[in-house]
Amino acid sequence: MKLACILAFACACTVAAGCRTTAGTSVVMNHQTGGSVIYEGNTRLHNEVAVTAITYDKVPAGLNRVNIQLTSLVQRQLRLQYRIAWFNAEGMEIDGDARTYRPLILQGLDSVTVTGVANHPSAVTSRLRLRELRAADHRRW
Amino acid sequence: MKTVFIPVAGAVLLMTFTGCATAPRVYESELDRAPMTSRIEPQDIRRTVEKMAESLISDAGVLEATGGKRPVLDIEPMKNRSQMIVDMKSITDSVRTRLIRSRLFRFVDRSTSGADITIMDEQAQLGLTDRRKAIRGGQQSAAEMYLTGSLTDMVTHAGRATDHYYKFTMILKDLRSGEIVWTDEQEIRKVAIRPVF
Repeated sequence: MKLACILAFACACTVAAGCRTTAGTSVVMNHQTGGSVIYEGNTRLHNEVAVTAITYDKVPAGLNRVNIQLTSLVQRQLRLQYRIAWFNAEGMEIDGDARTYRPLILQGLDSVTVTGVANHPSAVTSRLRLRELRAADHRRW
Repeated sequence: MKTVFIPVAGAVLLMTFTGCATAPRVYESELDRAPMTSRIEPQDIRRTVEKMAESLISDAGVLEATGGKRPVLDIEPMKNRSQMIVDMKSITDSVRTRLIRSRLFRFVDRSTSGADITIMDEQAQLGLTDRRKAIRGGQQSAAEMYLTGSLTDMVTHAGRATDHYYKFTMILKDLRSGEIVWTDEQEIRKVAIRPVF
């Protein structure tokens, strides 16, 4: 009985620790070739949100722009955050500190399009990072 | 066994919690953390700055108004029409930083004009600077447009819930024509619910 309690406590701790994962979905987009690769690091998020379309264009000033359509696969409201980072031809991130996580509230089975504009003319690759809101640092002081 | 285990476990727990209380917990937090309050927080400012800079960079009207050249802009401090104390100059400074780094805009800064005059006077009068290399007044660029804006808020109370709505509005105005060349706004809405106890 005591062993069962200890094991149950250990399992609960493991589950709780798993709920705190900060891994999410990443989409790497190459604006020169038009190709994209999707990495899904969170099974729960994979079952909740899908990347359904990606388009590339340029703003009038000549900077690259990417539009990504995200579709909810569940019926409840999802509270997410997304960030679009830009990389130069060498694969180095440009001004990483300046790119923020933006909130995204996705209604059940709804689709939204998120857009990112390059922050420098040398940006040729972009990466969308999508995570659950609870993955953001929410510890209280 | 129970008479030994329980006191020992209690003593260990007491030491653990006592140890946590002796020093404050301090840790580096990420810049875009989840909201802690329903007020304007640093991550809201960061998102607003990013959105405004992106919107300005990608607007076709700005490019048309400047004839495809890099215009010289200035900043007029944003007006804070909300109930919160927010450093509005910090917001415009951040927007200016993003726009300069995009290499699409040039800026002048009137807030440091006093320092410019002081340095030029010293170069001209102290005798330390080669007169041929001293910078003379009357050669600086003139601002063609300026950025400004405002922050407003709206607070609604309903039972234990308090709804805070904030709106940042920014405009880019052409000094020559007086026209507003670009404008955009960022809306933020937060709800705070007081606990029952």
